[in-house]
Amino acid sequence: MEVPRRLHPPTLTLTLANAASAPPCAIGPKQKSSRRNGMRQRSRLEKHGGPEEEEEEAAPEEKVPSEEDLLEETSQLLDISPARHSRLSSEDSVSEETLESEEMLEEEARRKSEEEKAAAKEREAQRQQMSVEELVQSERSYLRMLELSTVTIRSSLQKLQPPPAGLDSMFLYIQEVMDVSTRLLSKLDQFQPGDPRFLENLCESFLALSSDIEAAYKEYLANYTHVTVLENGYKQKEALWREIVTIVKSAAPEVNASSLSFFLVMPVQRIARYPLLLQTIQKHTDPAHPAFALLEQTAHTSVALNCRINEYKRFREVADKYKKTENLTIRDKMVRLNTHSIAKKTARFSQHIKHETGMAPKVVDEEFDALEGFFAVLDHGILQLLENVETYLLNLQGFLECRTEEFDFDMDGEKSAVSYKEITTALRQWVLPTFERRMRTLIHKPLCALRDLLVGPRNLIRKRFHKLLDYEVIEGKASLTFDEQEVVNTYKTLNTLLLNELPRFNGVALQMIWSMLGTFSCLHKDLTADMEQLFQSFAQQLPHSFLSDSAFWEWAESAVLDGARNLQALCQTVEETLNAPAVQPLSPSSQRCLQQLTGKHGSGKIYQVTSSVVGSRDLDLNLTKGELVAIISGADTRGDKRRWLVDAGGRRGYVASSKLVRYHQAAENPPPSPHPSLPESSTGNRRYSYSPGAPPLTSQPCFQVWAAYSFTARGNHEVSLQAGQPVRVLEPHDKRGNPEWNLVEVSLQCSPELQSRAALSGGV
Amino acid sequence: MRTSKLWLTSCLELECRVVRRYVCRKIKITAGHRRRKIAPKMSWFKIGQPKKQIVSKTVERDFEREYDKLQKLEDQTKKLHKDMKKSTEADLAMSKAAVKISVDLLNNPLCEQDQAFLEAMNALDTAMKRMDSFNQEKVTQIQKTVIDPLKKYSGVFPSLNMAVKRREQALQDYKRLQSKVEKYEEKDKTGPVMVKLHQAKEELRPVKEDFEAKNKQLLDEMPKFYQSRIDYFQPSFEALIRAQVVYFTEMYKIFNDLTDQIDQAGMTDDQRQKETEAKLSELRALSIVADD
Repeated sequence: MEVPRRLHPPTLTLTLANAASAPPCAIGPKQKSSRRNGMRQRSRLEKHGGPEEEEEEAAPEEKVPSEEDLLEETSQLLDISPARHSRLSSEDSVSEETLESEEMLEEEARRKSEEEKAAAKEREAQRQQMSVEELVQSERSYLRMLELSTVTIRSSLQKLQPPPAGLDSMFLYIQEVMDVSTRLLSKLDQFQPGDPRFLENLCESFLALSSDIEAAYKEYLANYTHVTVLENGYKQKEALWREIVTIVKSAAPEVNASSLSFFLVMPVQRIARYPLLLQTIQKHTDPAHPAFALLEQTAHTSVALNCRINEYKRFREVADKYKKTENLTIRDKMVRLNTHSIAKKTARFSQHIKHETGMAPKVVDEEFDALEGFFAVLDHGILQLLENVETYLLNLQGFLECRTEEFDFDMDGEKSAVSYKEITTALRQWVLPTFERRMRTLIHKPLCALRDLLVGPRNLIRKRFHKLLDYEVIEGKASLTFDEQEVVNTYKTLNTLLLNELPRFNGVALQMIWSMLGTFSCLHKDLTADMEQLFQSFAQQLPHSFLSDSAFWEWAESAVLDGARNLQALCQTVEETLNAPAVQPLSPSSQRCLQQLTGKHGSGKIYQVTSSVVGSRDLDLNLTKGELVAIISGADTRGDKRRWLVDAGGRRGYVASSKLVRYHQAAENPPPSPHPSLPESSTGNRRYSYSPGAPPLTSQPCFQVWAAYSFTARGNHEVSLQAGQPVRVLEPHDKRGNPEWNLVEVSLQCSPELQSRAALSGGV
Repeated sequence: MRTSKLWLTSCLELECRVVRRYVCRKIKITAGHRRRKIAPKMSWFKIGQPKKQIVSKTVERDFEREYDKLQKLEDQTKKLHKDMKKSTEADLAMSKAAVKISVDLLNNPLCEQDQAFLEAMNALDTAMKRMDSFNQEKVTQIQKTVIDPLKKYSGVFPSLNMAVKRREQALQDYKRLQSKVEKYEEKDKTGPVMVKLHQAKEELRPVKEDFEAKNKQLLDEMPKFYQSRIDYFQPSFEALIRAQVVYFTEMYKIFNDLTDQIDQAGMTDDQRQKETEAKLSELRALSIVADD
């Protein structure tokens, strides 16, 4: 089965050369010269409007035949008169020449036949004249009716309160129809109907206007469905409808009009009537007439015109049916489910699987695939572009929201700060908003519109694919049911429609993208020009504008660095002098501790803990922030300078040196309290050890001593000693100040227990 | 009986603690609201106010005025720093979005189908990428000469504020000890009182000196610091303007060339709008286009 590729195959008009043959279009009914058949054809033309239109059709159809009957009658009436005339003349001749010879009779017979021929010719000519006049007259009255409806009725309708909704769309394309009709009439009026050139003129006018006629009527006819729907809507509202009917009746009392569609259907009837009228003229025209060929061509053109309009209408209907995206909820979809739809969907799905698995060959249409591919790419590109433009605008908005000019450094005397403020104000108030507005109107808005327009083709392409799957299933069948025929028709229509219109769509859309990018560039050009001017005008007034670029940046960077340095210096002084720990009145306990430590170690060795420490290794101390300690040794036994041995007022152990700071006593230390708080009495009875000749307490913490007696440690805090072993005395007393115990370091021992008491034996 | 009483007291104690904790938290919350005025901040401590005026009204007023100025400067610096950062970020994001426009188009297979389109897109892409790199350069310069200095400048304020706080603490100590001294001075001059007075005076002396030193230092430093802003920021603003001049001069060149290449020259906005509208209605006239 051949797919109709184009809406207007170039051969169409040629094939139509014979009016009696069926046009190749699917709708093409047999065209017969009979008026009745013609009428049927017209009603057939209307059929695609749907059932409601057919109802509409009923009334005019009744009327039109009556008109035509009348016409036929009159023409018959007119036919009679010349006939009678010839009969009379023949009677005369018979009475005169009864005595004449047979030759005479023969001659008479010949003459008679000639006369009859002439009379017939005359009759034909008259009939032709009549039909020509009919065309002109009916065109005139048709135009009058249209004018009546658009001017009188429409203006009265508009005066209604409230004005009926959608009134304008009802009369949407009627003006074009009237225009073309007026033009046709004015062309016809150039010659009197009796003029021999009239027929020729008529044909030429019609041919010249045929494309305009087609353009005007096809839109009108495509829109006519909408008109009837609208009118039905009006009919629902009784009060409104009554008013409308009154208006219609009062506007045109001479015709028995009872609805708006009485007038609005006229173009629909009229376009179908042109072929009939032209064919009638042709029938009554002598084939020898000089305009006969032209007339024939005109008649065919008019038929083809009707076919094309009809086809257009059908395409529009199919397109309208499928191009909209249906916004259905899941519930709606569920309601719609029925065996038929499920069967349809399953069939499509299985066909699709067959394609994918290669079980069934796909119908390949390279032209369509190329178009579809281009469209898909375009679609993708447009969406992406729109998204990017939106991001751009969003960031622009973000940029505009930064009010960088709204700072107050109290620098009104400074040129640069003031200039910057002015520039930014101008930028935010004027330059950038203008740019943004232009971006939105010239790029963003059209892009959005373009995106919306993509929906129709996208849906149609998808629908075409569905229909193609359906079509493939029934493609091979010999005979098709009505439904199947419908499927085939829909597929073909969709295919043809897309093939016809997608190239145009793609082309225009691409052009639009192109021009939008040009606009984008142009907008940037304008923006940068404005910006440059703005900044330049201020920059010239700045103190360092004379510097070249590199010199300027060198200067700026070094200036900034200088500033940073100054700032840091200032910061340091502030920190040192003001942020140094203030002489905070110490709590009585730490005061006591301080005094004790100072007394023991001297004020130079007092350190303060900067942050709380938690010991993690052996012999580490746990200290809280602000606690005071005295340093005993600046390194641990392994010489690690980062661990200091400290006295925390009793406890001794290691602390990380980084956590300690020198404790600054107030410039002039208050003299030590006259009564230093003494620790509680020593607990000599805790352990029994002999320590004869304990050396006197000195402030020197270090002694080189030897153990006089062996001593075995009894706990963690004690160290075992051999007699004569050298030890280093760190503190000549225990942490309670008991001079019987010393804190010693035993160098030989691998990990000497430092905070231990050892029996001291032996002198210095 | 006894145990129940004990229990009651412990309950009461518990409740008190809960209430206290609650109050503490409340105070913390209000304290979180950056109470800038220093004078009333400590007033609810009420550690005994000395009768003697220890800081003269004018000194206090001067101090507050200078400190207010600094606080305003701090707010403004922070605000400008934030705005600048945000604006440069938006600026960068903008040029990135512009680059994405051209990159996406260039990657679109549309270009494969149409040589002229491909050329136009290449031109667009080059321009966008140049714009982006220039913009990046500009932003780096602004970062170096404007944003970083702003950040550094606002970094000074915490230590200044801390110094002011220290001064305030010193002042409170001073006041407390002063009132202690005054208390003993009012008492009868008996032996123990004299000893205590002596002790209190001894305690007061270093605290007083500390406060005075801090006060003087701050009164000196604050105006100096405030004054430093002019020399400090002046190069920043100049650099800011200069960076834009350089950038837009380059941009104008780039877009001028690009526009010559891909745009129909000399169209007004109205003309453009009309043309687009015409194209759109041409598309709408097609049967395949759904027109709502």
